[in-house]
Amino acid sequence: MIIAEKKQLEEIKAMLQGYRKVLNVGCGGCTSVCLAGGLKEVEDLCTQLTISLEGDRVVFEAEGYTVERQCEPHFLAQLDEIVKPYDALLSLGCGAGTQLLAERYPDKPVFPALNTVFIGVNRDIGWYEERCKSCGDCVLGMTGGICPNALCAKGLLNGPCGGPKDDHCEVNAEVPCAWIRIYERLKAQGRLENILTICPAREWQDQVQGTLILQPYRDRYAKKDK
Amino acid sequence: MFELARGPLVWVAATVFLVGIALRIVELFLLTKKRERIQWPTHGITTDSRAERKLKPILAFRHSLIGKHPVMAIVSGIFHACLFAAPIFAMGHTLLLRQSWGISLWSLSSPVVDILNIIVLLGVLFMLVRRIAVPRVRAVSSVKDLLFLFIVAAPYLTGFLAYHQWFEYRAILILHMLAGELMLMAIPFTRLGHMVIFFFFRGLVGSEHSIVRGSRVWSA
Amino acid sequence: MPKQDSQSVDTEQIQALLKKNKRSMTLLLTACAGCTLCAESCFLFMNKGKAPEYMPSYKVLNSLGKLYRKHGKVSRAELEKMRDLLWKNCMLCERCYCALGIDLPKMIAFARRILRSQGIDGVYPHSLGAPEEESG
Repeated sequence: MIIAEKKQLEEIKAMLQGYRKVLNVGCGGCTSVCLAGGLKEVEDLCTQLTISLEGDRVVFEAEGYTVERQCEPHFLAQLDEIVKPYDALLSLGCGAGTQLLAERYPDKPVFPALNTVFIGVNRDIGWYEERCKSCGDCVLGMTGGICPNALCAKGLLNGPCGGPKDDHCEVNAEVPCAWIRIYERLKAQGRLENILTICPAREWQDQVQGTLILQPYRDRYAKKDK
Repeated sequence: MFELARGPLVWVAATVFLVGIALRIVELFLLTKKRERIQWPTHGITTDSRAERKLKPILAFRHSLIGKHPVMAIVSGIFHACLFAAPIFAMGHTLLLRQSWGISLWSLSSPVVDILNIIVLLGVLFMLVRRIAVPRVRAVSSVKDLLFLFIVAAPYLTGFLAYHQWFEYRAILILHMLAGELMLMAIPFTRLGHMVIFFFFRGLVGSEHSIVRGSRVWSA
Repeated sequence: MPKQDSQSVDTEQIQALLKKNKRSMTLLLTACAGCTLCAESCFLFMNKGKAPEYMPSYKVLNSLGKLYRKHGKVSRAELEKMRDLLWKNCMLCERCYCALGIDLPKMIAFARRILRSQGIDGVYPHSLGAPEEESG
């Protein structure tokens, strides 16, 4: 799940300077689940902005509307009529959803209320951990289900580095060494030979925008050759 | 009938009530387990900015029961207070308690209990009207809801009638005892058990809306 | 999971699942007093003109509640109706709350699991073979 966290109120206020009527657009997907951008957060942000800006003697109106997911155009369609009277939109979706929103309404300034921080899991309510870097070349099969890119501070593919103290990472002593965990996991499963062979380096720093079109849908989207 | 209602049935009702509640509590503990607490991490903890901290109480109020549903909160609060106060502290009951078991509780005079009674009955009426008149409540209602409203109202209605000595006193008294016994026995096994369930789920089981930290989680 | 034809309902399978979680689910279902205070916690309820079919209690009582009330003996048509309640009327955003603390998402998730055991899953628009849905 994508984990995002709300920007601090001061930063959001600074972004909205000069705008008088803003629609806070919430998301019922990932940011709802991680308590950052759901209905409750939209309502809270409307209250915070209204009261805070009232205190600053600024004429301002904030209203909210939460869509199912901001990352799907057909869920954004319901906003077409709704956004019309607003000067700007404040998105409580992840970075992807915010961009789709901005793309759909290019004449309206769209601002992000959240910082999208990582792909992660819910350890428990309000506690989220990064587990995936979306590197596009998953090695979890080899490492017994522990990601060396996300969980090893150095992103080593042939770890550990020799730095761990008390089985904890030398870069961040609060975190267990991912490679020691990988070793223990594979040992328990009798699969240690996985990490005995040296792995060649992988292209984990791909910064080009990713696009993925699933095979069954290629016909739908491919331009026909003349 | 009178002797049956005021004698053995009281024991039956009290036993079923107490054992039932105990079983419910045990069940709730068995269905959940203590949350594991792990040492790390101490990083990545978010903090509220100054402006956010100032506004926190207002937001908390707006999301509370009284903030979102003020009428329900107030009616329900007063209703529940009177619901408990009337039977526990009614002079008629405390005298019997002292006679039977020598336990002496504070007592509320009968005219006061009469008013509490009326409040409870008005509360039940409010719920009944709400159930029938408000479309969204009607959408999740059935005959069962009327039955439970009746079970709750019966002891208070018969108590009211007995105090004012309308109809035949002894007959009303028997009905009052039976109604009270029925309600007590219904509590552990039906939705009336929310008196225990509420504290367990909102207090012990951690969630976004738990009243305290919440040390338990579902086992499965 | 054995392959099912689209018309049959494997009642025994449903009953086995219902039995598995009987203690917790029946406790949660019994506790519901139908107070509807959960309604405002659902953003879909708020968006869709506060229609009762979007109340969390409505969704749960008419899906999982119905499955337990009927002891798993439901028809295919009834399951299809439940599918709409569970996948169209609910995003499983897990933000619904209950005044008594009943865990609503848990019940929705379990009901979805039961429907999946019968080969019924949420249909997302634009998927292969799915009928085109009106947007908005």
